[in-house]
Amino acid sequence: MKKRGLTIVILVILTVIIGVIVVDFLNNRPDRRGENPYALEVDQYKVVDPELISHKETRNFDLGLLIASDMSLYDRALYVSGNSSLVVIPLDGRPATMHEILPRATCLEVDQGNIFVGFSTYVAKYSHEGELLQEWPHLGESTVITNLAIKEDKVFVADAGNRRIVIFNREGEQEGEFEGKAESEAGHGFIIPSANFDLAVNSFGELWVVNTGKHALENYSDDGRMRGYWDKASFDIDGFMGCCNPARITVMEDGSFVTSEKGIVRIKIYDQSGELISVVAPPALFKKERSANEEGKAPEVCVDENGVVYALDFDRDVIRVFEPIESE
Amino acid sequence: MEKKDKDKDKGYNRRSFINNGVRLALGVSVVGTAAFTLQRSASGKDYVWQIDPFKCTQCGRCATECVKAESAVKCVHAYALCGYCDLCGGYFKPGAKLQTGAENQLCPTAAIQRKFIEEPYFEYIIDEELCIGCAKCVKGCSAFGNGSLHLQIRHDLCLNCNQCSIATNCPSDAISRVPASEPYIIKGNFTTEEES
Amino acid sequence: MLKKIPNLALILILFALLTGSFLQAQQRFPKPEFDTGYVQPDPTTPEPRAMALEYFDVLVLLAVLSLASWLAVKKRSRRGLLWLSVFSLIYFGFYRDGCICSIGAIQNVALSIFDPGYAISITALLFFILPLLFALFFGRTFCAAACPLGAIQDLVVINPVSIPSWIRKTLGFIPVIYLALSVLFAATGSDFIICRYDPFVGIFRMDGPFLMIFLGITFLLLGMFYARPYCRVFCPYGVLLSWMSKFSKWHLSITPSECIKCKLCKDSCPFDAIEVPVEQAYRTPEVSRKNLKRFILYIGLIPVLILLGGWIGSKSHIFLSRVHPDVYLAELMISQPELKEDEENLDIQAFLESGDTFEQLVDQAAVIREKFRKGSLVMGGFIGLALGITLMNQVVFRRREDYEPHKGDCFSCGRCMDYCPIDSQKSKGESQKLNVESLKLKVENQKSVKSKG
Repeated sequence: MKKRGLTIVILVILTVIIGVIVVDFLNNRPDRRGENPYALEVDQYKVVDPELISHKETRNFDLGLLIASDMSLYDRALYVSGNSSLVVIPLDGRPATMHEILPRATCLEVDQGNIFVGFSTYVAKYSHEGELLQEWPHLGESTVITNLAIKEDKVFVADAGNRRIVIFNREGEQEGEFEGKAESEAGHGFIIPSANFDLAVNSFGELWVVNTGKHALENYSDDGRMRGYWDKASFDIDGFMGCCNPARITVMEDGSFVTSEKGIVRIKIYDQSGELISVVAPPALFKKERSANEEGKAPEVCVDENGVVYALDFDRDVIRVFEPIESE
Repeated sequence: MEKKDKDKDKGYNRRSFINNGVRLALGVSVVGTAAFTLQRSASGKDYVWQIDPFKCTQCGRCATECVKAESAVKCVHAYALCGYCDLCGGYFKPGAKLQTGAENQLCPTAAIQRKFIEEPYFEYIIDEELCIGCAKCVKGCSAFGNGSLHLQIRHDLCLNCNQCSIATNCPSDAISRVPASEPYIIKGNFTTEEES
Repeated sequence: MLKKIPNLALILILFALLTGSFLQAQQRFPKPEFDTGYVQPDPTTPEPRAMALEYFDVLVLLAVLSLASWLAVKKRSRRGLLWLSVFSLIYFGFYRDGCICSIGAIQNVALSIFDPGYAISITALLFFILPLLFALFFGRTFCAAACPLGAIQDLVVINPVSIPSWIRKTLGFIPVIYLALSVLFAATGSDFIICRYDPFVGIFRMDGPFLMIFLGITFLLLGMFYARPYCRVFCPYGVLLSWMSKFSKWHLSITPSECIKCKLCKDSCPFDAIEVPVEQAYRTPEVSRKNLKRFILYIGLIPVLILLGGWIGSKSHIFLSRVHPDVYLAELMISQPELKEDEENLDIQAFLESGDTFEQLVDQAAVIREKFRKGSLVMGGFIGLALGITLMNQVVFRRREDYEPHKGDCFSCGRCMDYCPIDSQKSKGESQKLNVESLKLKVENQKSVKSKG
């Protein structure tokens, strides 16, 4: 009798064990795990007051298999560098043309005379017909050229690796360089934690350089003396968040800035003194669709005389066009 | 009596013959399986589990799914990639002002130490004793910074289970078995190319 | 404008094909310049356990198996086997944290047979075959002294109860199903269920998730009354070992010479693995005829069972295939497309970020499901066959005059040898035949003492 009782107990325990295993096995589905208890909550910074939004996405250009690296707007045409090619997309609907260039272009800048293309350690000068005119000397081991700017006969080359701006003339002769150092408290020099280092020359001929480590835009004279700056480090919409922002800038006709941020991607317009004017594209428009280990890359931005912003979205390989919303 | 013995002998002989035959068959099949496996895919290498930081999506399961109560996955800092930023996305909570109080720190266990190097650079050091491998800082660092913080399986802690329990639950298949000769993928390595 | 875009795309596609892509990550970036002479530390990378030690494990296993076989078959020492099993428990269990083990190695072998991309380490392969080969010649000496899971259960056997044979045989069929499922899941690359539900690793490591520890403790508590519950009701490796051991050449024997049918050994075995003599009287012509009929019936039943098993298996392949994460994810995304918008669903979000298209996932899932279709068919057939053979064995009566270990079920633990009175006599060098009668007397005494105790 006792033995029979024990047998039943043994069988019950065995059944329980099997039951527990089976139930655990069937329920051990990753999606029944629930959310990540350690998630980084940044959603609140993705919300933007609709009042602030000044532009609307109207169309886009698919770049197909071109893995773009930079874009420039000149004479109603978008110039895009990528792979080993340079693509010119006229905005009036004429067919796109393509030129073969040296591989691994990182940036480009276009003016009436030439197309300057930056590679990681040197710059090359091309004609508008896509002909290689000059290959400028390499700038050394740790050079990482991220952007170019042209002012009349000068070409400013942003070297993020060495945290300096190298000044060339149009023939590729080095005329100088500067690291943004100054005596004043603002003059620590460029702090460039990553390969994001942009610069632009506005219509008044002022050279503006982004000091990403300080979330600052700094104005320099042609020989590299700092003339002024403004900075805005904040997670809120009126500042630049995280590190290395704004990753890319461009200037509008009236001297205000279009800025593009990485991480939580957003494109905004600031006036000359650093006051936020409006938001071109809020983070919601840059929801990741493709593989990206990092959060979104900052789109390259160009702006035309009508205030239309062209954003090269690296995460999707499309050029997205944002037109100003007509205000009644 | 004699006949019976004979029968017994016959039975015994027959049985031992069958036994020998079956044993031979079983032995051949075991050795055959082994030989097949050996020529097919066996390798003299030893294998360990590894996280590919380029596939990792920082889901937080490394902190919860390891068979050890304290995960063998820890955050590793690739100093070579770090920008030494003051405003570190992996150290501060989003929106926090630059004060180093625990309430402003992103890490749930305050396992990141911040050390002033020189104006304006700060070094960030992971205290592995405290780190639980939750990847919150990794998310912050790759979202806003250079991605120098990343998860790796620490092989002094990993028990090298036959089947990694985190790997079965990893949503991005970032954990795989690799030869033990190269157990780590440390970011910022000169030679490592990101797979496109 | 839009009209031009296909044009452009075409050019770009051609161009990209011609030149290849030069995407190279900017992973390295020059570090900041430090004025204070600060030197960047390197991240530490603690080394994994050295390779040579893995080979050492194999050597230890080989040594333990050889010693165990010698102790069981030749030396006939229960005490030796016990201490050896304690050593294995400490070495393979507590020191090596229960990994690698031969039971789990089944899955590595299964996966490497069906997935050429999977590289199995020689260590795992050797852990898989060595105990089988030893079982083929010496019986399940692996279970006796080399398996840490067996050892820990063997130590807690306190008051084993013998449960009815039919329940035992039914329970004994569970490992076959477990084996079939674990091979199926391993071969399809879905999961290693043996490792996931290994009840004792949590105890070996003194650390682990709740379920693991819970199972371990439950098994140990159960093991006090139902000896070695994991070995007898779950262990899939035991199925293979039992096949080998059934045809082993030199299996442990209870008595060194002539059995006096004292039944002491029968009582000593906690696993009900000792077969009683089949009496001549039992083999009456009627019984034989009846058995023959049933035997023929069961033989005829085997193909039916195989077909039935295969049919059930292939019917359940869709259900089984959901164990594979890819199949599960694909089904989930088809049945609940709205989950794609669910930021909280980490798996779907991770998949969407991975860059693979949904079609790729579905194709992948279809390939896996096809593997499952074939695998489940074979698995079902195998279970049917095993069931048929088990049934058939029920009616095969072999003439047996002595108490003998059931070669399939016997773990070669050696308890029975200790209990056999002949053994002790032999060691004194006395002639046995003369003493049979006195022995029987002695046995009676022992029994009465035992029953009083």
